[in-house]
Amino acid sequence: MEERIQRLDLLQHTDTVNELLARYGVKFGIYKNHVFKEQLFPFDVIPRIIAREEFLFLERGLKQRVMALNLFIKDIYGKKQIVKDGIVPEDFIFASSGYMAECENTVPPKGIYAHISGIDLVKGKDENWYILEDNLRVPSGASYPMIARELCRRSSPDTFHDNSLEDNRNYADLLRRTMDYVNTGGHVVILTPGRYNAAYFEHSYLAEKTGAHLVNGSELRVKNDRLYYVSMDGSLEPVGAVYRRISDDYLDPMNFRPDSLIGIPHIYDVFRKGNVALLNAPGNGVADDKGIYYFVPKMIRYYLDEEPILSNAPTYLPFYEEDMHYVLENFDKLVLKDVAEAGGYGVIFGNTMTREQKEAFIALLKKEPRRFIAQEVIDFQDLDIVESGSVIPRKADLRAFVLMAEEPLVWKSGLTRFSRNPDSFIVNSSQGGGFKDTWVLSR
Amino acid sequence: MGIISVEQADRLYWLGRYTERVYTTLRIFYRSFDTMIDEITDSYREFCEMVDIPDIYGDKSTFLKRYPFDGDNPDSIVSNLNRAYDNAIVLRESIGSETLSYIQLALYEMNKAGKSRAPLIELQRALDDLMAFWGTADDQIDAEQIRNIIKAGKRIERIDLYARLGMKQEALEREVHRMIPRVERSGLEYDPDKLESLQILVKGPELNYYRIVKEVEAIL
Repeated sequence: MEERIQRLDLLQHTDTVNELLARYGVKFGIYKNHVFKEQLFPFDVIPRIIAREEFLFLERGLKQRVMALNLFIKDIYGKKQIVKDGIVPEDFIFASSGYMAECENTVPPKGIYAHISGIDLVKGKDENWYILEDNLRVPSGASYPMIARELCRRSSPDTFHDNSLEDNRNYADLLRRTMDYVNTGGHVVILTPGRYNAAYFEHSYLAEKTGAHLVNGSELRVKNDRLYYVSMDGSLEPVGAVYRRISDDYLDPMNFRPDSLIGIPHIYDVFRKGNVALLNAPGNGVADDKGIYYFVPKMIRYYLDEEPILSNAPTYLPFYEEDMHYVLENFDKLVLKDVAEAGGYGVIFGNTMTREQKEAFIALLKKEPRRFIAQEVIDFQDLDIVESGSVIPRKADLRAFVLMAEEPLVWKSGLTRFSRNPDSFIVNSSQGGGFKDTWVLSR
Repeated sequence: MGIISVEQADRLYWLGRYTERVYTTLRIFYRSFDTMIDEITDSYREFCEMVDIPDIYGDKSTFLKRYPFDGDNPDSIVSNLNRAYDNAIVLRESIGSETLSYIQLALYEMNKAGKSRAPLIELQRALDDLMAFWGTADDQIDAEQIRNIIKAGKRIERIDLYARLGMKQEALEREVHRMIPRVERSGLEYDPDKLESLQILVKGPELNYYRIVKEVEAIL
């Protein structure tokens, strides 16, 4: 692999590719001290390379996982059989911040809840892939490798002539197919909270590439149980599918947070009546809660009667007495995660705490055991990056995207994020991380 | 999708206006900068009067720095370019990444020019980017209505600026002639009487610049 990387012509074009990314405004927004700043998302030209066979294995595992998660959400907002059968304790459902009572007994068009899932994985030094997190609400990131591939091909055609890869620029087609599949009749739109959202580049780029219309809340209106786009001459155009990039809470001030200024009053009522598809469906947070993650392998066995193909990182729930005991005994070798946090926040490594911090944390853990999970620290593989002309190793994860249309579709690529800090496992862009393209070999 | 919301139409229109404002004021600044290299007197004051902005500068060198490059000065060229960018960035799906990229590039060049001891070189590049923006908009935006709204904004802004700058009759006549079909085909609501009155005003024996500005601002 090392030799293969050194031979890449693409390596000579790092600056060109990054200049092109800047030209096309490939940025993400970040708030620091309440001030919004747009930052370029640092791109490293050395790709993550996944062999064809290895990706086929991942593909099978990812499809299996997302199918089970969809069945779980349907069950939770319906019969709750998995709770009745004692597989998942009800504490992990109804106390979850992602559970929304308003979604009870609501079945979305075609029965799909998680249309676009972002599944975070790492590859351990033992060569095994581990799932770190499921993102079933509004996962972002596909646009970055998509445009990076386009610009890399432009900068170094030889690299792509000499390597047989799956073309990842078809993401927009997969997304459009997913939106069209659940469309209840009308236009397809991407709903954005606006340009000050961290992922605004992605919203606008995906709108351009899918041919969907990018809208904000004030451009949509509910009338007679239907959703409409209001055109400049005042006419109302029906909307059948909304790929919404705003969170559940802010989606509809009449059903969720009343102080939301970016939502559409009564859109959820239209959805409940089956007159519009919302991608992803509200209420999915109940299934991607860090506490629920522990139960996903059990879900796969329960709903699909199959053994999980992909493994979770070994996880402990302090909620269970036995697990609490293990966590306290092995505190220094575990990573502790606050289930309510995201974006790399609320993650603490046991061995980095002072004695006082540890005591305070353990007191909190005992007081609120449901709030935390503990995981073995996966010693995941480093990937090479280029920094100041040298090739150096850094921690990296992979966000794989699974789209659910008439069948689950796994995008043959993914967002590889890496930490720029040599001592850190945190790869999130909001914390200074960069990204790579993910090559899936086609031969 | 083929339909445009009121907000989108507004952004397209102002994208046209701000890009034109930047383009024309840059061109004038470009010429004025050259004149100011040699002169001792503060002719920048005449420039401020001409483009109708308050003289907050005090002397020539402050003007040469702050008028084009000071992002905190709402009248500066870069502030207007930022406004063009603010409109363009929310129109990626309407105008396309390629067209949008030229506004982004112009902004980079303006920021580079602000740090340069010989800013005219980068400013030339910013002008080139704006020209490329117009060319790409013409070539790559398929939806005719979108092109017409942007161009209606561009033409209206140009007449407004030309009248404020006291440009010659032929120039104004030509611009009014170019603006009318764009406005008519834009789908925007407009006042046909104002279009007619503008046509008469720019043909009159003596130009009333003040009225031309008033009328052009009242078309939409």
